[in-house]
Amino acid sequence: MATTLGKNNSGASSFESVGRSIPRVEARAKVTGKAEYVHNLRLPGMLYGKVYRSTVAHARIKGVDVSAARMLPGVHAVYTAADIMKLVPDPHYGPAFHDQPVLAIDKVRHVGEPVALVLAADPHVAEAAVQMISADYEELPAVFDEIEAMTSKAVVHEVLKPAGTFPDLKHLKGKRDTNIALDFHLRRGDAQKAFAAADHVFEHTFRTQQVLHVPLEPFVTVADPTPNQLVIHTASQSPSFVRIEIARLLGWPENRVRVKVPYLGGGFGAKLYIKLEALVAIAALLAGRPVKISLTMEEQFYQITKHAATLRIKSGVSRDGKILARECEVWWNGGAYADIGPRVTQKSGFTAPGPYDIDHVSIDSYALYTNLPAAGALRGFGIPQLVWAYESHTDMIAKALNIDPLAIRRKNILREGRPQATGTLMRDAGIEQVLERLARRMQWEKAFDHEGSDNDKGTIRRGRGIAIGFKASISPTTSVAIVNVSADGSVMVNCSTVDMGQGSDTAMAQIVAEALGIPVEAVTLVHPDTDVTPYDMATLGSRSTYHMGHAAKLAAEDARDKLVALAQEVGLSAETTPIPDIFRKKYGMQAGNIVGVGSFIPPYTPPEPGTGQTPDATPFWMIGATGAEVEVDTETGEFKVTRLVNIVDVGRPVNPAIVETQISGATLMQLGFTLSERMEFDAGQVTNASLADYKIPGIRDVPAVMENEAVDMVQKSGPFGAKGVGESGTFGVSPAIASAIDDAVGVRLTSLPLTAEAVYRGLRANAGRPLED
Amino acid sequence: MNPFELAEPRTLKSAVKLLDAGDESVRVFGGCTALMLMMKTGVFQPTRLISLRGIESRYSKVTSAGDGSLRIGALTTLGALGRFTAVKKRAPVIVDTLRTLSNVRVRNVATLGGHLAHADPHMDLPPVLIALDAQVVTAATAGSRTLAVADLFTGYYETALARNELISEVVVPARAGRRAAYVKLTTRGADDWPTLGIAVSFVTDGKVLTDARFVVSAATEKPLRLASVEAVLNGATVDDALLARAGEAAAAEAELVGDARGSAAYKTELLRVHAGRALRKALAA
Repeated sequence: MATTLGKNNSGASSFESVGRSIPRVEARAKVTGKAEYVHNLRLPGMLYGKVYRSTVAHARIKGVDVSAARMLPGVHAVYTAADIMKLVPDPHYGPAFHDQPVLAIDKVRHVGEPVALVLAADPHVAEAAVQMISADYEELPAVFDEIEAMTSKAVVHEVLKPAGTFPDLKHLKGKRDTNIALDFHLRRGDAQKAFAAADHVFEHTFRTQQVLHVPLEPFVTVADPTPNQLVIHTASQSPSFVRIEIARLLGWPENRVRVKVPYLGGGFGAKLYIKLEALVAIAALLAGRPVKISLTMEEQFYQITKHAATLRIKSGVSRDGKILARECEVWWNGGAYADIGPRVTQKSGFTAPGPYDIDHVSIDSYALYTNLPAAGALRGFGIPQLVWAYESHTDMIAKALNIDPLAIRRKNILREGRPQATGTLMRDAGIEQVLERLARRMQWEKAFDHEGSDNDKGTIRRGRGIAIGFKASISPTTSVAIVNVSADGSVMVNCSTVDMGQGSDTAMAQIVAEALGIPVEAVTLVHPDTDVTPYDMATLGSRSTYHMGHAAKLAAEDARDKLVALAQEVGLSAETTPIPDIFRKKYGMQAGNIVGVGSFIPPYTPPEPGTGQTPDATPFWMIGATGAEVEVDTETGEFKVTRLVNIVDVGRPVNPAIVETQISGATLMQLGFTLSERMEFDAGQVTNASLADYKIPGIRDVPAVMENEAVDMVQKSGPFGAKGVGESGTFGVSPAIASAIDDAVGVRLTSLPLTAEAVYRGLRANAGRPLED
Repeated sequence: MNPFELAEPRTLKSAVKLLDAGDESVRVFGGCTALMLMMKTGVFQPTRLISLRGIESRYSKVTSAGDGSLRIGALTTLGALGRFTAVKKRAPVIVDTLRTLSNVRVRNVATLGGHLAHADPHMDLPPVLIALDAQVVTAATAGSRTLAVADLFTGYYETALARNELISEVVVPARAGRRAAYVKLTTRGADDWPTLGIAVSFVTDGKVLTDARFVVSAATEKPLRLASVEAVLNGATVDDALLARAGEAAAAEAELVGDARGSAAYKTELLRVHAGRALRKALAA
């Protein structure tokens, strides 16, 4: 393959590689079962770890008896916190707070918290030994509800311990006897005054339930203590973070910890920061042998979840439907450990008023500790909870004022160039384009037939709804990439972006191929390995295409410049000479490399404390809208989503086919959170911790008609006009369906999930005969 | 999972002998779909498992007798069951029920005998077989006996089978003009255990119903015939009022249990409405 550098097309508007739906580079390996996953990794001498977990939600640990387990033949070791602390005196970790112990110390704070670890060469022996461990607890009052946690006497953490990473958490250091892990406030204009002057004031409260990611590959980590390094093979979305945090815990330099990540069987925000890595790393060092822990599907329910939330919204509205003022209070149920919850509180908090142009805004957003499994990032980072509330609220206002749902949105949406609640001006944010495209595809302005089309004795009523949401990218974050051109003209991209199914390997190859003007087939990706792939903040929040895309493009341009210089040095033209000939002329044979480096961090201004105002809150905005059509059985409340139309603004799609699967995947994931998924608890114990009892959507739950579209937009600041895509499909799903149900039968649901029973109870209440239990 | 002994007898007779009347940790399996889940979660820890897969092949077949009845070997997989021409012809309600019973991977290994003996009230075929007046034939060291499927279930995961007794066959009597239907209601997604199951059957000349069977499952501790509904139906002419009366009778008689799939009150409302719909489905069958 003798490739020649293409012409420099940085300023071009039509492209060779970007914008093409080339097949995913890993597709064949995956469907033939040859792709590499940590689950398949076995090392010589490896021990398997099984975790003994807390059975109570909140208690002081009076004692842990591991003697019988240690005696079981085949058991290599049993560790408790005391053993961990021999190696790491303060074994607390976390991205926002150093609040999570590697194994419980003195206290347990949720059911399922790891208390002890058994190591054995045979995982079944380790499992049997776990059954022989017992713990003696002095139970403490527990708090499960986020509103109660605001004032409860039950305190999950006696002292707050911010990690020091985020400036807006510093004021919480050493704070005692509170469950509030972050309070975020935004003030713009004077909401109270505007309420007084408004024609109408509406106030509603909404609830969302605790759910989880359910990657089909559960958490798995292997740690291998080699003579010079600790090598960690892990299914992680954040290899760089794992290296830094493990090095911090051990007091080692970064280069003595090596983190390798192959493909992931799904991540969705679950596999971020430290999950199993600290426990596995320390166990491997204590044992002096490689250690592997693979969680079962059931154990995943205690590892990380998505925040349940209570959201109160109050709006002052003029007679003709103009929103004049909005006040939002949001309480995020963060569970027993902060994980990245405080970021959800702030980063999502500031978009709580929705994609609307409102002069007077007040937001209070609280991250709360409770005695439930920890909550963190999950596809949307708090946004789906907020959109659920503000779009339901919007339609409730519209209905009360007898205004069409599309009309009220047209009247109020944030248009290009207008300031968002933070004061940041909207740039390249296709809110209007997305809304108008949705309206057209839904044929919103045509009459809609509410009667059932089938002949089910007239018991079916049809309805439709629309909803639109937006999200800021998490900022500021850094990505670094290396582009390595070999002497035959083939190219490797070293970057720590994790391909967890979203297709980033393919997208990065396309971006680098475009920047070099070479065929995409000439580019391969080096998977995250912190010894050879440089720093990346993490694969999260739809940031990789933009941030790593920029870094990869910069690295490719750097390589290109160096190649042009090399050609000049040997008296050749880089634009007409095949790349191998340039190297051969320089080195006399097929030898040498050109290494380009790119580093990217977007401009950012931190929000003012107290008011949350900033001129530069985010490098880009993600927009997503959904239209839903439903059929409701008026005799039973059973309903079916018959059509979902999902429209997003992703800038210029790097790979349109992958973009479409990202939209449909996000939408279906949110469909599960809307209709069927709910973690059920009894005194903090999950009572449906299995895929038989926790219902994710199956193929027969997919709506008969699903349409997914990215509107024609360009993110001018993005690499080749692109921006993030992974989450936008989630935004509008829940409120669009709830509004469609209301449109069909006049039942407005304000809690997720939306169940047939809730609809039925609403029908009965409307009829003046509430269903009695 | 702890180590256990695995026995693979070649005959039903020797399988029965390997059972131990006094030891709950000795169990037989056909497809092992249910037991395996219980073993993985530690709910069941066997000392000995007896695989029935190697026993006489006649227990994996369906035969039809001259009188129109079906004899189904207990080791017939649920997948195979739906593919036998005799079943399609003589008990189409079974084929219809199998379409939404679990998934193809489970159906291809799970057996009818295990499906019944497990006595999970959420299973789909028990109410259907009760509505068809089916019987089970059992094998034990003491000999063989026959009992109605309706009498097989004694409670939540409990059967009338002795610990050393196995189901060997299921007999479905001839249809003789009988129509039947099963309605599986799920409330948390299409692929779920039923919130409520309703199986109905009756004989009809096109207008008047006789010899009706009305069975509810899933929201009860075992599948139950509702006598008051059958009384409403027997001898009555089909019209909307009759179907409504059947629903009222069902809602009044059934004592349903609430769970994560729905409250008892809501399931009762589902029964009230879907009773008539199940009867209509049978009429159209």
